[in-house]
Amino acid sequence: MSRRLREMLAHPFWQAALILLAAYLVMAAIGWASAPVPKSVVVQYMLSALAGVLIYVSDNEGRWRRFKEPIHRTMVEPDRRRLRGGLLVLVPVFVGWVTYQQVRPKVSAPAALRSVHPASPVQITFRGKRMDLATLENPLRQSGDLQQHYAAGRRIYYQNCLPCHGDLLDGRGHYAQGFNPTPLPFDGSTIAQLRESFVFWRIAKGGPGLPKEGTPWNSAMPVWEDFLTEDEIWQVIIFLYEQTGLQPRRLGAGEGERHD
Amino acid sequence: MWRINLAIVAVTVGVIGFYTMVAHLIPQLESEVPAPVSLGSGASTDQLVAAGEQIYHQVCTACHGLGTRAPNLLTDHAGRGPIGERCLAVLGEGCKDYLHRSMLSPGDSVLPGFQNIMPVMTTQLGGDQIWAVVAFLQSQGGEVTVSASDLESAEGAAGAAPGAAAAMPAGGTTDPRQLLTQHACLGCHAMDGAGPPLGPSFDGIGGRVSAERIRRGILFPNADTAQGFEQFAGMMPQTFGTQLSAAQLEAIVQFLAARQ
Amino acid sequence: MIDLLPLLQAAADTTGAYGRFPLIGARAAVWVAAEVHLMFAAFVLGVPMFAVITELIGIVGKDAKYDRLSKEFTRLLVFAYSATALWGVMLVFLLTTLYPRFWGHMAQIFGLSMWIYVGIFFAESFTLYLYYYGWDRWQAGRAKWTHWGLGLLLNVWGTIVMFIANGWLTYMMSPPTTVTPETLPSEVRLWNALANATWMPINIHRLIANAVFGGSIVAAYAAYRFLAAKTADERAHYDWMGYVGNFIAISTFIVLPFAGYWLGREIYAYNQSMGITMMGGFMSWLWIIQAVLIGVLFLAANYYLWIGMQRIPGAERYAPYTKWMLLVLVVGWIVWATPHTMIATREEQAAMGGQYHPLLDVLGVMSAKNTAVNVMILTTFLSFLLYRRANKHPVVSWARSGTSIQGAMFALATAVVLFFGVRGYFVDDVVRIGFSVYQVLAVLSCIIGVTVIDLGLLRGAESRGAIRWGQMPERSQYALFVLAVTFTWLMGLMGFARSGIRQHWHVWEVLRDTSPYAATPALGYAANMISACVLIFLGLVAFIFWLGGLAEHAMAKHSPAEG
Repeated sequence: MSRRLREMLAHPFWQAALILLAAYLVMAAIGWASAPVPKSVVVQYMLSALAGVLIYVSDNEGRWRRFKEPIHRTMVEPDRRRLRGGLLVLVPVFVGWVTYQQVRPKVSAPAALRSVHPASPVQITFRGKRMDLATLENPLRQSGDLQQHYAAGRRIYYQNCLPCHGDLLDGRGHYAQGFNPTPLPFDGSTIAQLRESFVFWRIAKGGPGLPKEGTPWNSAMPVWEDFLTEDEIWQVIIFLYEQTGLQPRRLGAGEGERHD
Repeated sequence: MWRINLAIVAVTVGVIGFYTMVAHLIPQLESEVPAPVSLGSGASTDQLVAAGEQIYHQVCTACHGLGTRAPNLLTDHAGRGPIGERCLAVLGEGCKDYLHRSMLSPGDSVLPGFQNIMPVMTTQLGGDQIWAVVAFLQSQGGEVTVSASDLESAEGAAGAAPGAAAAMPAGGTTDPRQLLTQHACLGCHAMDGAGPPLGPSFDGIGGRVSAERIRRGILFPNADTAQGFEQFAGMMPQTFGTQLSAAQLEAIVQFLAARQ
Repeated sequence: MIDLLPLLQAAADTTGAYGRFPLIGARAAVWVAAEVHLMFAAFVLGVPMFAVITELIGIVGKDAKYDRLSKEFTRLLVFAYSATALWGVMLVFLLTTLYPRFWGHMAQIFGLSMWIYVGIFFAESFTLYLYYYGWDRWQAGRAKWTHWGLGLLLNVWGTIVMFIANGWLTYMMSPPTTVTPETLPSEVRLWNALANATWMPINIHRLIANAVFGGSIVAAYAAYRFLAAKTADERAHYDWMGYVGNFIAISTFIVLPFAGYWLGREIYAYNQSMGITMMGGFMSWLWIIQAVLIGVLFLAANYYLWIGMQRIPGAERYAPYTKWMLLVLVVGWIVWATPHTMIATREEQAAMGGQYHPLLDVLGVMSAKNTAVNVMILTTFLSFLLYRRANKHPVVSWARSGTSIQGAMFALATAVVLFFGVRGYFVDDVVRIGFSVYQVLAVLSCIIGVTVIDLGLLRGAESRGAIRWGQMPERSQYALFVLAVTFTWLMGLMGFARSGIRQHWHVWEVLRDTSPYAATPALGYAANMISACVLIFLGLVAFIFWLGGLAEHAMAKHSPAEG
């Protein structure tokens, strides 16, 4: 038995099959140890591995001949009629199954790419008022009492943002589970990397205001421009930063205007 | 031989097909043209007003806004407020069509005390750009009623892409008299003994100054000011250098220089 | 102010600025004409480089085989030349009729250089005719050297012509910063416009790429003739020709990425946002396709070499190593083509906690990719080295220590590449970008050092037996086809990248594209266009190859002794 196993292991055809299996298992292991690998990437990796295996079996004349041998035998020899017939059924069934999986109607959205923090436009129009995002700063940090702004911001947050972004500002409000993408948590470090003008843009224009690379958007974030005034948005921004104890990125800190 | 040729074709087409397939599997991102140039029927009111504002300041302020050649539009005129307000007060819902008509055939609605000097705006602006200007004018104290259906009809009427029907730098007429009318030169400069005295008269101009000086005057209007016209300095648009083709510019220069 | 400019231009735009083209539209028409013209141009610039080198080898080494090879290349050139001119004329007519405003702008600035271009093109054609038709007349002695000089002159003309044309297209990408939409074309100084920021990098990049392209097309020609060959002699000749073509293509290809880095850096330096559009913006996915293509190139080239080693006596010694080299190449390919932002369904995204995979993310960043490419280059170089040494037995006294030094150089270069690759994860962006330079330097110096030692090491080496030219399995020749097709497609793809980063500008931030085709298309559409261009080009090239065969038959009939 062990001799036969050793012979099989030395045979290029079974080596090729084993290598492919091993490649797949490695990916499964990655999926098990960390997070599952997306199907698109699995297909890509397996195709690369297949190309490598084909090169391996055919870059040497002897190996190539031995590799083809079992395939050839299965296709012509009388004593392999059963196997041949089985393959003749199984292969088309497999192809048909894959095709069916590809085309069958599904309820989930198709696989898509979206950039979570797309670059903001250079300027926006807020209720007819032009704003230059590159230079825009939170005006309320210069005027009025910060504690008052904070208090007003808290009121606005609990009236409007709570259901999705949550009590603890952790992005887990009552409705959060129903959304994809899920609402942004503020207690992470994300908003510390953003400038206040960027946060203003995201609040004011919401999901519909995302640029193309942020799409296909299914962000449920409303366009708050229609419901809040300019000062109210700035107040809620102050609340977000004060409550989490994070500092917004300042103009001139870091090299550029990219927020991804 | 046929077998080889077919195999080569198959390999070639297969490889090309594989690359094409890979390119189709990845996300399809188009780089979009920034909004102002092509508004399209999907433009929001904000976008229209913003675009209209830009066009207005580029094209219209040379006459409107000085209060001498044409009525002020953005500021008060005859104690009845800015254009949006006074138009809404007098015409109500008809305001939109009035503003639009006044740009398509300006001669029909010249206010008392002003001359018929305004060019037909379709020579410079596309249909949707004109609607953008209307929206901007309405936003001056009035209510913006320009809607997507207006833009669609503009697209249909023009039968061409936005911005397609405009003044011609390459090609186009080189008839100097037609050019002088088209570019509203005669709105300020008198010719053939008639016209407003806002700039030096074209009559006999070739005898007073050189062709070189005329050319400079068209391209760089503020380089020097003719004697007696100091109070109008800075009024002449500086955009003729980009609006006229070289042939058109030369046609005008030669035509004027010949008017001894 | 900046946002007023487009409006101003739109206002100044006209119905006369663009023409219409039936069915496929103006942009597609110009796209095809430009691309096919460029492919032929690359071919007719790449092949002479080659013809001159092989002729020189023939003269110096007194080997008629090389002379015959060189002449065979040149014959292909005569046909390809008229195809180049034809597509060039087509491109000019399409531009003048479909993009008259743009053409007017360019003609006003570059008029003088266009006349010079035509003049030199004229000189180039006649040099080519003299070179080809004088081949048999100036066959010996000093006349042969004069003939070789003609070939050299042909290259000089070709290079000048390409540099001028590159000036036009790089002006579109990176016009001098003093040029603004208000600048009259007549005020732009010709030399300033020609010698713009990306001119030299493109010149060098294209010069190298042309040699690569010429080599791969010649190899494909040889592969075709090999497959169609009827006698063993013929097979041996075309097997050898395919090897030479492939060798030149791959050895020059190895330095191409470095020229590419330089070009990329100049683009970033010229305009940050253009650079970001190229690497991080809507084009970022293009580099994944590029990785797939270049992976195929590496694999196919090595595959060809490994199969080829079986016709070399003594190569059995190295056969066991190929599978490990293959493993390195495949793993390198996988790392390089791993996307940073992954395409995933809702559920997958939820499981990953975002668009980035928590573990594979490590492979998606620049550090990993640069390391992978450099290791792949080193591996391919090793393949060549083994191929070269296969049937030789060094006789110099220091052979053993020399080989050890070579091995140490490889180990050192790999260590440097890996060290900076890993280090790159722990430092800031700015420092990391500098690391890629160290990696490249390590690889380059390894290649140069090892080659120098190898030349000395194998001086006067004993042969373990002659290479059995012609004893090549057919599938190896298909690898050459895959190489040629992939190079051609890659050229189309990179052309799209270079031209696409201008986005909605004819001339970057000077002359705006206000046509209906102003938006830059997505990759799928671009891939369709590229495939169409490649098919047209290869179809015409196949026709030219066929013609070459016809001419040979005719000649063979007239003078049977020569064939």
